[in-house]
Amino acid sequence: MKEIQIERALRISGVLLILGIVVEIISLLWEKPLAFLLFVGVGGALTFVGIVLYLYSLLPPAVESSSQPRPKNS
Amino acid sequence: MNLPSPETLLYALLVITAVLIAIIVVRPAITVSAPGKMLAFVAFCILPVLCGSMAASTHIERSKQTKFCLSCHIMEPYGKSLYVDDPSYIPAAHFQNHRVPPEEACYTCHTDYGLYGGVRAKLGGLRHIYIQYFGTPPRPEDIQLYKPYNNRECLHCHAGARSFESNAVHTAIRDQLTGNEMSCISSGCHDTVHNVKEQSKVKFWTPGQ
Repeated sequence: MKEIQIERALRISGVLLILGIVVEIISLLWEKPLAFLLFVGVGGALTFVGIVLYLYSLLPPAVESSSQPRPKNS
Repeated sequence: MNLPSPETLLYALLVITAVLIAIIVVRPAITVSAPGKMLAFVAFCILPVLCGSMAASTHIERSKQTKFCLSCHIMEPYGKSLYVDDPSYIPAAHFQNHRVPPEEACYTCHTDYGLYGGVRAKLGGLRHIYIQYFGTPPRPEDIQLYKPYNNRECLHCHAGARSFESNAVHTAIRDQLTGNEMSCISSGCHDTVHNVKEQSKVKFWTPGQ
């Protein structure tokens, strides 16, 4: 179950990063002042979200609350 | 042997990064192994940051070019003013005689030679874009600098130069010039700048003639 979630996060993150790279290439080919805004506002944002999502997928899953009672400290 | 240009290398790096990411997107199972995990980290983290940094640097270098500044229609008369056939026009005299690099003419005079000057120049550029698209852009002849022109930008090159230092007027008022108490361009000495309002009355120089 956990692997499926990681694979899904990797896929979404990968698609965002590829879109970010495509936008970066377009902004580099388009030699106009607006290209810089496209690069920062769209390309940069897609790349940032893609990287953050990838790093988030590396985090270990949160420990689920156990139904068993905790051992008492003696 | 001709080495590829930095821009060609950047495009190659962007394509390689996209291909590596696409491989992992199609087959995420390869990230189960240790080499696969390392590949994913490089493709999803290291390479995008490297590509972004290189692309940002390319954009910043490109924004220094004269043709970049003149790509906005509002700046066209200012570009034309660089070809005025009159040496009293300060920008034209600097541009035509290569006292400033012609391919970075606007940036050389209009950047800020103080600490973080490059950053301030870029923020100024973003403000131009904001006014162009979200504000009310003035007519070209009504454009004014956000702040009075700082003598520091002139003295960055002229201070210490023989032609500047051998002029008795410059040496007599040196302190006022360095302290910005007297402006180089608006105190009546070098006051013919772009003058786009007067453009219909002047002759133009054509390179090669």
